[in-house]
Amino acid sequence: MLSFLALLLLHALIAPALAASDYSERLLLRPLPQNALLASFNFRSNESSTAFEQQNFRYFPRSLAQILQHAGTKELHLRFSLGRWDAESWGQRPWNGAREGGTGVELWAWVEAQDQEEAFARWLSLTNTLSGLFCASLNFIDATKTIRPVMTFQPEGDHQNSSHLHLLHGTLPHEVVCTENLTPFLKLLPCKGKAGISSLLDGHKLFDASWQTMAIDVVPVCAEGGECVLEMEQTVDMVLDIDRSKRPRDNPIPRPLPIEEIECDTSKPYNAHDTCYPIHKTTEPGFSLADLYGRPIKGACPLTDDEGEGANTVCINTPPERTIDIKTDGAYVENKLQSDTLRCYKLPTGSDFDLVLPEQQMTTGLVHQEPPLSAARHINGHGQEHGSVQAVIKNPSPTDSVEFVYLESLPWFMKPYIHTLRARVSGSSESPIKETYYRPAVDRARGTHLELRMVIPPSSTLTVTYDFEKAILRYTEYPPDANRGFDVAPAVIRLISPASADNKGIYLRTTSLLLPLPTPDFSMPYNVIILTSTVMALGFGNIFNLLVRRFVGADEVPTLGAGGLKGLIRGRVERLRARFAAKRKAT
Amino acid sequence: MALLNSVLALRKDPRILKLPPYLSLLCILGGIAWLLVLPLQEYSRGTYVSENALLPGQVHTYFTGSEHNIFRAYRQEVHGLADKSIEERTRRLGDVFRSQNLKVATQRYKYHASGRNISNQNVYAILQGPRADATEAVVLIGAWRNMDNEINTSGVALVLTLARYFKRWSLWSKDIIFLVSGDSTSGPQAWVDAYHDSHSSDAVEPLSIKSGALQGAIAVDYPAGPWGHRYDKLHIVYDGVNGQLPNLDLFNTAVSIANGQMGIGCTLQRMWKHDDKYQDRLQTVVRGMMSQGLGHATGPHSSFIPYHVDAITLQTVGDGWHDEMSLGRTVESLFRSLNNLLEHLHQSFFFYLLMQANRFVSIGTYLPSAMVIAVNFSITAIALWVASGRSATIPNPASTDHKDKNAAVTVVEKDGAKAIIPTAALEITERSLFLPLGFVLSSHFIGLLPLYIFNNTSQSYLNLAFNATTAITTILPLATAFALSSVKQPTEQETTLVQCFSLLLLGMFLSALATLNFSLSFLIGIAASPLSFTRAIHAPPASSPTSPPPSFLKKNRTAISVAQATLIAALNPLVLMKIAALVWKVDITDILVKAAEGWHVWGLWTQVVVWLAWWPAWFCGAVVVGSGLFS
Repeated sequence: MLSFLALLLLHALIAPALAASDYSERLLLRPLPQNALLASFNFRSNESSTAFEQQNFRYFPRSLAQILQHAGTKELHLRFSLGRWDAESWGQRPWNGAREGGTGVELWAWVEAQDQEEAFARWLSLTNTLSGLFCASLNFIDATKTIRPVMTFQPEGDHQNSSHLHLLHGTLPHEVVCTENLTPFLKLLPCKGKAGISSLLDGHKLFDASWQTMAIDVVPVCAEGGECVLEMEQTVDMVLDIDRSKRPRDNPIPRPLPIEEIECDTSKPYNAHDTCYPIHKTTEPGFSLADLYGRPIKGACPLTDDEGEGANTVCINTPPERTIDIKTDGAYVENKLQSDTLRCYKLPTGSDFDLVLPEQQMTTGLVHQEPPLSAARHINGHGQEHGSVQAVIKNPSPTDSVEFVYLESLPWFMKPYIHTLRARVSGSSESPIKETYYRPAVDRARGTHLELRMVIPPSSTLTVTYDFEKAILRYTEYPPDANRGFDVAPAVIRLISPASADNKGIYLRTTSLLLPLPTPDFSMPYNVIILTSTVMALGFGNIFNLLVRRFVGADEVPTLGAGGLKGLIRGRVERLRARFAAKRKAT
Repeated sequence: MALLNSVLALRKDPRILKLPPYLSLLCILGGIAWLLVLPLQEYSRGTYVSENALLPGQVHTYFTGSEHNIFRAYRQEVHGLADKSIEERTRRLGDVFRSQNLKVATQRYKYHASGRNISNQNVYAILQGPRADATEAVVLIGAWRNMDNEINTSGVALVLTLARYFKRWSLWSKDIIFLVSGDSTSGPQAWVDAYHDSHSSDAVEPLSIKSGALQGAIAVDYPAGPWGHRYDKLHIVYDGVNGQLPNLDLFNTAVSIANGQMGIGCTLQRMWKHDDKYQDRLQTVVRGMMSQGLGHATGPHSSFIPYHVDAITLQTVGDGWHDEMSLGRTVESLFRSLNNLLEHLHQSFFFYLLMQANRFVSIGTYLPSAMVIAVNFSITAIALWVASGRSATIPNPASTDHKDKNAAVTVVEKDGAKAIIPTAALEITERSLFLPLGFVLSSHFIGLLPLYIFNNTSQSYLNLAFNATTAITTILPLATAFALSSVKQPTEQETTLVQCFSLLLLGMFLSALATLNFSLSFLIGIAASPLSFTRAIHAPPASSPTSPPPSFLKKNRTAISVAQATLIAALNPLVLMKIAALVWKVDITDILVKAAEGWHVWGLWTQVVVWLAWWPAWFCGAVVVGSGLFS
């Protein structure tokens, strides 16, 4: 079988060329196996640092720039993610995982400050203002959700001009990314979703994707001994299920197809008019941008370059034999790169542009690049008290060992026992852990921060396990959906060797976990217990009284003369008199 | 205080010791009567769905049309696999799932119980929900063979068809796991154990792919062959291992969807004909209690419940006009409801007795009946403790009967006043606790022996072991009593204390058990209730002129003791088990094999209760009666 080799890393090849101009955007489409399509949107805008400091903004959004200046933030990375990347079928992650985050929201930034307190104060003001800007609950990233990673993150930019940088990192795994986060994201773009590739970004389609991540990266980039620019990169990566996305919006229900439209396996002996064994389709599905996104691209964004690399706005990475029809009224230019496996188009200005790929039987299969590592993490055990976390990391490479950093950021109510931390490599007794950084949690003040530098030999499996205890929260600390459980942020894995070709790094994230905590029954039985306890206490009190009290006859009690009302009054009088006598003595 | 004093003075009253047996009897009768009134309209409630998120039956179901053609093809495929090897079957089922773009994995398991090998394979596929982030999952199970050991042809085919159908929807907010287990009990157990990583690694293979926390499981049992079979009703099976139950909301949702949306009648506890009359309701409750009390696995869902995963099995029964597509639509609607869940099922009851598909009693209403029965043992134990502290009958000093004149008296002088009091009334009775405590404790330890034997004997010897144990346990109490009497005759006080302690423990065990497995506690309580009333009747002391005339009991001592011993022998747990097996026409070996499988595979605790709580209490009671016989 002929095989078509997908490009190693298109993003990496394209990126340096784009850095030159002030604004550029690019959409890369890549059909994936199992009727999936990866669409990577990338928008890049530069602003010289002098213009930035003078608050003279052209392509850089003013709203974000002022926040960064106010919070003393030199480098910012913000991620909104949904779903999971299926590495088994889709292969290596786009951007080597450097432009994606864990499920929910993830934010890390280098903040300039004199000391840790100031850095944290600036971090809080950063999260609070970003929260308003992106309509996300970023303000919930408080001290318990903030860590200061040591090995996992390296600055992407050049920071010669800055001193006292502090890295802070926070995650919100339970945050549901939605349209309200997309709108402010689009507003930061110069063409604001009205023209250019960003006109495809529509909440209905973006959030129907099998996996999607939105990223904002602000990085200072300095030329050799020259002018520094502040570069902002906005990235949207999504994997669309082609069949699902092609369904029209007014009829989104996947009703069973009429039997005539289903291809049956007629070789089966039982095949009949009412019995149909469906054949798995082997053709590549047909699609067009208008099918997938509900509309074609509304022409080029006028701010993009007319010439050169930056003009290649829409690229598609398919085998050369794949037919691609262009539907547009304007003038477009097609460039074939990478021995025809990458076809790029310069968009016409002012008229719609659409790519149409018909359904086609291919002779070359799609080949995806094997990811360097694959990781899965699960909570084991059951019950209200204990549990254990198991992370399984596989190195598929038959020749190279992989060195990586494994970062866990756990909420304070999940208390790991570090003495139970075990890392085992299949078929080896040697400990793969080379270096450990551990900062234990403090109740209600900060979470656990664990970083492990480990080496995994070729074609072997590394298993990290540790036990943990579940804390009991205070009654008011439970969220309204207490019985759902609590989300635990994904683990972040950064590869050290093989090192990445650029300064972005190679990253991998596991899925988030759901941690069920002991939950009080907030309803009726709670009252029943209280009531029962009251009854028990009453009963116990009486019996205890009977057991320990000494019963004596009424005549045995020493009395103050006669009892009754007279005795009572006399007693009071005596007491008063004694008090007066005492006072007189004192004075 | 005056009232209190008069109550305290009652302690000395000899009548107070006459009361407990009647009180015990009242408790037992009260407990039974309590259960009998539960099916009445006034004491039970209609079911309702507590969890608002479930919205049962609120969605349109689209599982029709060409899916039926595909279902028929899959059913032929599954039928074709019936005589294939396990590996072949697993591979082919995996291929079907794989062609639907699902993640597929297999799992082998191999258990040993009663000298049998239980080995098979599970195959499962994970549909990664488009709206899910791998934190939650629901399971659809189609066991390859159902509880009656028939091949679940249509059930497995339905799972395959639904997997293909569900894959097209974009609304799943939880992963869906399709599990075709090798059998109905051990296979799901192996799978769910491995899913929570609490399996023994030499018996069960770990799972290679997993998803998030399980939120619910639905099993489909539809053994119709390749040409289908139209069924009449859905039989909803809900008992878990050790009598644990799924959340009532899940059951209600299933009933509400099947009955309200699809128009399929629902039935439970094998009540094929239910007219909603008192007798039918009571019969359903009693069957439910028998099933819960045995604590056995009743379907593929049973193994999930101990892991706090709510699960039920939908089983098709009867001949009617509903076809596989209506079952498919029921499952579809059920999964849409489960998909709506925001939290783990927790709103509704976990402890309930169902008497009809839409009528139940909750724990608050039914618990007193088992508790009252357990209390009867405690009352008797307290009474026996008080009785053991009493000395022999105190002669009445004021009696004009001349025999009493010879009784020893003591002159007591206080504050210048003198009184003549019988010496017996002033003596303090010491309780000798060593023998009673030691005996009761060691008899509880003896229970470990049969527990070990029955769980580790191979199948061919089980019947022999059962008969031998029955014979031995029947003779053992009498032999023990005889041996005791020949070595050291236990005093009346010691036998009383033996009975006191054993009943005290039984009462405690049963009341604790009632909160965990009501039915088991109730059934054992009823079966052991005569132990409250049997007594050791000791021979009167060598007759002396001072002793009172022997009572009726003492006169017919031997006859009554023999009658008691016979009654007790009939109440031997093993004898009762034999009788139950004869009544229900079950082979006793099958029960024991299942029990051993339960012990080794499912984590069944019923035999622990039987051998370490019920049997020792019976044994002590029997020895006490026997010691009366041999005194």
